[in-house]
Amino acid sequence: MKNFIIGLCLISPSILFGQLDRSIKPKAGIAPTINIKDSEVFKTSNGITVILSENHKLPRVTFDLVMGSTPKAYNKLAGLSDVAGSLILSGTKNRTKDEIDGEIDYIGASLNADNNSISMSCLTKHMDKGLSVMSDVLMNVNFPEDEVNRIIKQFESSLISAKSDGGTIAKNVMSKVIYPMGHPYGEVMTEATLSNINRTAIIDYYNDVFTPNGSYLVVIGDITKAEVEKAVNNYFSEWTGGNIYNTMLTSNKLNDGNRVFFVNKPGAVQSVVYISFPIDIKAGHEDYLKLKVLNGILGGGGFGTRLMQNLREDKAYTYGCYSSLNVNQNGSYLSAGGNFRNEVTDSAITQILFEIEKLITEDVLQSELSLTKSSMAGGFARSLESPATVARFALSIIKDDLPKDYYQTYLQKLDAVSIADLKMVAKKYFTSTKANIIVVGNEEVVEKLKAFDSDKKIEKLDAFANEVVDRIPADISAEELLSKYTSVIADGSEGKALAKKMKKTKSYEEVIEYTMEQMPFPMTSTKVWMKPSFEGTKMEGNGMAFQKSYFDGTTGAEWNMQTGSKTMTDEAISSKKKSFGIIPEMNYSLSGMNFELIGIENFNGKACYVLKLDDGDSETYDYFDKETFYKVQTISIKTVEGETQESTIGYSNYKVFGGFLFPTNINVSIGEMNLSGTLKSMTINAKVDISKFK
Amino acid sequence: MKHILLVSFLASVFLAQSQRKIEYVEYDLDNGIHVILHEEHATPIVAVSVLYHVGSKNEKADRTGFAHFFEHLLFEGSQNIERGEYDELVESNGGMLNANTSQDRTFYFEILPSNQVELGIWLEAERMLHAKVENVGIETQRSVVKEEKRQRVDNQPYASFITETFKRMFKEHPYNWVPIGSMEHLDAAQQEDYVDFYRTFYVPANATISIAGDINIEDTKKWVAKYFGTMPKGQAINLFRDFEEMDDKAFVAKYAVSKDKFDANNFMKSKDKAAAALLSKYANTPIEIPRPEKVTEKLDGVIKDVVYDNIQLPAIFMSYQFPENTHKDMYALEMMNEVLSGGASSRINKTLVERKQMASFAFSFAYGLEDAGLGIFAAIAAKDKSLDDIQTEFDAQIELIKNELITQEEFEKIRNQFENQFISSNASIAGIAENLADNHVYSGGAEKINTELANYLSVTREDIQRVAKKYLTQDARIILHYLPIESK
Repeated sequence: MKNFIIGLCLISPSILFGQLDRSIKPKAGIAPTINIKDSEVFKTSNGITVILSENHKLPRVTFDLVMGSTPKAYNKLAGLSDVAGSLILSGTKNRTKDEIDGEIDYIGASLNADNNSISMSCLTKHMDKGLSVMSDVLMNVNFPEDEVNRIIKQFESSLISAKSDGGTIAKNVMSKVIYPMGHPYGEVMTEATLSNINRTAIIDYYNDVFTPNGSYLVVIGDITKAEVEKAVNNYFSEWTGGNIYNTMLTSNKLNDGNRVFFVNKPGAVQSVVYISFPIDIKAGHEDYLKLKVLNGILGGGGFGTRLMQNLREDKAYTYGCYSSLNVNQNGSYLSAGGNFRNEVTDSAITQILFEIEKLITEDVLQSELSLTKSSMAGGFARSLESPATVARFALSIIKDDLPKDYYQTYLQKLDAVSIADLKMVAKKYFTSTKANIIVVGNEEVVEKLKAFDSDKKIEKLDAFANEVVDRIPADISAEELLSKYTSVIADGSEGKALAKKMKKTKSYEEVIEYTMEQMPFPMTSTKVWMKPSFEGTKMEGNGMAFQKSYFDGTTGAEWNMQTGSKTMTDEAISSKKKSFGIIPEMNYSLSGMNFELIGIENFNGKACYVLKLDDGDSETYDYFDKETFYKVQTISIKTVEGETQESTIGYSNYKVFGGFLFPTNINVSIGEMNLSGTLKSMTINAKVDISKFK
Repeated sequence: MKHILLVSFLASVFLAQSQRKIEYVEYDLDNGIHVILHEEHATPIVAVSVLYHVGSKNEKADRTGFAHFFEHLLFEGSQNIERGEYDELVESNGGMLNANTSQDRTFYFEILPSNQVELGIWLEAERMLHAKVENVGIETQRSVVKEEKRQRVDNQPYASFITETFKRMFKEHPYNWVPIGSMEHLDAAQQEDYVDFYRTFYVPANATISIAGDINIEDTKKWVAKYFGTMPKGQAINLFRDFEEMDDKAFVAKYAVSKDKFDANNFMKSKDKAAAALLSKYANTPIEIPRPEKVTEKLDGVIKDVVYDNIQLPAIFMSYQFPENTHKDMYALEMMNEVLSGGASSRINKTLVERKQMASFAFSFAYGLEDAGLGIFAAIAAKDKSLDDIQTEFDAQIELIKNELITQEEFEKIRNQFENQFISSNASIAGIAENLADNHVYSGGAEKINTELANYLSVTREDIQRVAKKYLTQDARIILHYLPIESK
């Protein structure tokens, strides 16, 4: 026997493998052990907890500085933290933004910041240079005025476009319903709150939040403890600040029954649906991993999930239906949803609730469980290659007070999750009867949503999750509105005085400069009008023209960079004829413009008259402030070849020019594009050179 | 001053060499497959990759696009893997996969958890041995590739400049056409053409396996031997493919030996005399892999042409012939390019785009390939700026870099940037696997992975000036003006 065994061992591998059946798929080996070393932790005299995860594989190093305060709510200044976060790298007492960029580029490093952190990574040998820039930014950021203005303008634009983005609107609502009043995650930036944010508030924010006390400095890479201590001493020991702010935050309790929230998005052909409920756990809880696996089966990615198999593969309601589990120390929740055609919105909600309920009442299949665990294990393993992952783990162990071997034993914990475990957490945390059902879409779907609400009353909100007052009938006539508006825009002139002023006005030229995040240079829009009915527009930037158009009363043409020259269509001509002159509203009654005062709506917390216009080319809604009669917003919906395009224009800061009032801030939002406009000049009775527009 | 500079050079070269060395094991299998294995345990994952030394330059002039097409086809399945199953096998096991094709090679890889190395090896072996090359898959992938061409080339303004440049620069060499190839050729090709391509290029002697990550070298060698070592050598692989695909009647008609004489699970060691003789004959006949002659043609003048495209702003694309990427001058040429065009502070950006505002976009790059390269200068004009003005400015920049040494600050900056890039490219196991394979196949050896940086850091400012003078030949270049169709 012994000889036989020895003999067997002497047979060369190639003969042993000679009999090879390639149709047999190889089996996996034993799950690998991951090796996440313990971090070195020490505290500095100015309160920074330094966490070091040494890794000498590559000669590079990352310094990730994270502030320790619990987030705060800013109420009337909601959104302050986002604005401030966007300005941390705007410049210091010693360096302009360009200088910061240049010095970082020279050493091939990268420097990033947000509302509670700054991080820098570079090759080890450039560490001193990189840290000197980082610490200058940390201690001496001075928020230059022009940068503050630029960033605030960007936010203004993004708020306008948020109004037409169903996903953003749904997220706004979800924040408000998952988190209680006063919770920092439950507040939403609005135009009103943004208008309260200024440089002083930003500086106060920075002083409040960016303090060494209670902060964490995560250092990853090619550096020893002694070197870290030296670096911290050289670059962060002089950093001073106040106390940190610490409090316990949680999500809301579960509802008593299902609550339906609806946000109207005029003209929507799809609904954005989120079904969401709070989950009472924090990171590190023993049920967390089980919930993660359960979420993976429900709709956590890939085609094989319950939601995808049901709502996409089987019923074809959508291209994608997913669920996500958000677990953090300040309030956790689960949400499931997607985009669905109007007609199947209610059916989709039924199916999502059905799938959630099924996980509560029935065991999952072993095959689903194995597949999900394999996929999660693989993703976890691959993520470890990135220093950012390692940094995140090292920090969360300290910050979230996890056991030291939490990530080290992750794969074993994952492997141990059983069918019974999943049933248990589904029963404990999931609900299909106490959830928040959020729908952003067309008014026509509302009726069918009532059935889902426990008390059959739907809560209506606006894009920023404020309660919406349904449109109420106007208390004046359309003609009265137009007349009052005209008078206000003509700087108070009425009757004979107004007629005289209009006679004297023979032309105007309006020049607006627009900036857009994606464009490296600003664009200038010129609009002219000349009696009796010449109108020209031009859009140019960086020395080249993008668009030109003209209309001479009977005909016209448009030229643009994409498609070249086109004569004006009949619809366009017809629409131009209905709206012309320095105050088009004056002429609606005569020009054949279809107009209707459809009611009073809240806009930005203020009551506004809403005038609906139809000129045969597009449908427009003009909003006039009920107190001042200023026009504050225009929403325009145009359908071209079956595609609907919506654009929103916001007007503010009216000033007087040559006897008329014009807005000096104009923000335009079309789909993903946001243009922030400033009126550069408004010249009444300007000399108009019509050749420039032809 | 010179002495100090020399010392700091030597110091930096020495420093570069004292950077971490990438260790690996390499050897050849009997059937010609080259194997490179790199073991490191930083993360419990592994990259399994195969590089086939076939690219668009191996194609016939009337059958272009095949190499790239095969990159798609090889996801369709094999004798033992159903259509759609390849992706699923990787993804359900926590992995990810992808591939890419160039003029010179086609590269496939998977990244898997490290307890699935055998799976990765089996998957790649299935592709190499008997991928499905049949009408169903061919039809499907033809539409996919057409869509890709539409999206990435046809509908992208200016994207055709690569095609237009190559066809003028290389009249004789197959660099004349680009990897995506011609839709007409792909449509005109019959199944036999596809099968013929597979049987010529997807063979062991043309393949390099590169595996990097949390592996055990001995186990990995074992699996490589099991799945790849047993693969038939020489022409015998096509004999095996016929054995699997043909029915007995057809097989006998072709080979005069019946199929039942062979051992399906131990093909190469089939005992029957006739079978063994046939196997021996075919195994000892190598497969002829058509490779083009190196580039000998040289531009002998200035070629100026106009191309009309769906664009609004005119653009200029100027190209010079550069040497092959193993040529020692390529290091200096790449660094010269970094000075001209590397980042916002580079010369071309500062002058053409920012200060003189003649171009909305301008850049230069060194396009390196196995047999020859190109140096390309490109700019999209700002409104009302003429291409001739941009030409003048480009020429001025070229004269400047030829006549004057670059500044010390520029020199240090590009050295820092190269070092950073080099370290980043070897930060992931997938990057290492690819670099090892590439270096072996056409950079002169896998060891280049450890000597590359030193080569860059030993380039001097004088070298940069010298290669500028040698290769930016104003009397031999291609100048393409891209104009809007409307202006015709």
